[in-house]
Amino acid sequence: MIIARQMDVRANIKKYFDIAYHGEAVVVPRKQDRNVVIISEAEYRLLEQLKRASAYNDLLTDGIGKKGKISVSAKENVKARNKEKLSVIKNLKDDWNGNGAPAFSDELIAKISDLIDELMIQPEIFPTALGTIQLEYDNSGHDHMEIEIGLQDEAEIFIVNYNGKESFENITVSTAAINDRIKDFYG
Amino acid sequence: MDNSFKNDEKLYRAVYPPNISSMYWKSDGSVSSAAFADPNGLSVERGYYRKDEDVVSAMQMRFTGSIIRVYVKNCRDIGAEVRYLPSNNSPYHSEIHGSATTPLLSKTQRRYLAEKASIILSSL
Repeated sequence: MIIARQMDVRANIKKYFDIAYHGEAVVVPRKQDRNVVIISEAEYRLLEQLKRASAYNDLLTDGIGKKGKISVSAKENVKARNKEKLSVIKNLKDDWNGNGAPAFSDELIAKISDLIDELMIQPEIFPTALGTIQLEYDNSGHDHMEIEIGLQDEAEIFIVNYNGKESFENITVSTAAINDRIKDFYG
Repeated sequence: MDNSFKNDEKLYRAVYPPNISSMYWKSDGSVSSAAFADPNGLSVERGYYRKDEDVVSAMQMRFTGSIIRVYVKNCRDIGAEVRYLPSNNSPYHSEIHGSATTPLLSKTQRRYLAEKASIILSSL
């Protein structure tokens, strides 16, 4: 981090922009402590991502429901978070994505609810415009796994390893089969 | 505007549903690939070299949720096609298709775009 006077920055703006672009923050003191910091767009995006991750974690422990947000009970409980999110997904109406996506059937919601109750590790769950629900896992080795579940008896597992290698597999949707894959994924 | 896109043109996508801001955000702050699954083709607004804030302002005339952004090059890198399809609602409306014959992006394509996406506006 460097500190630069406002008049210096004005006179040499390209120089200070280049400094910020290459990863060093430029602090510009101003009157009444109304200081500013010049950083690169990459640094800004990272800070925003961290802020969102922090806000997301706050949502997990926020016991007060707010309009438009997914709230959980006071105890941090990932399973409860998934159950609440599933209830939100259940209430999505036809065309919920503005492009014709169908609402989710009670049968599929019940199927996912049963899985959430029994899975050894909770996934992150997301609706798709295909009428399916996607379960996602990310391990500490930066591998990524997606299990897309619909009304069919089979689901497709898509894994991307940390080195970019991809694999696909079809499995019968059952708690046992998915738990086996989770064990393999986390080692 | 026509159907030609340069690699460095930006494409902006509204994240639905707009009133449930956290639906596609993952715990690490990134976007789920599920946000890129659409059998009808992925609707986007082409930037046409407008500033981010101008695009956001225009999109907010019709949409209140979060907005993410990718580049045309990101799409072409994984074999996806970008099509200019102006609509009554927007002269900038375009779509990202998996291929010339398949509107739906493959899992590989969705994952890649999710990794490349920048969150321009988060209502979280």
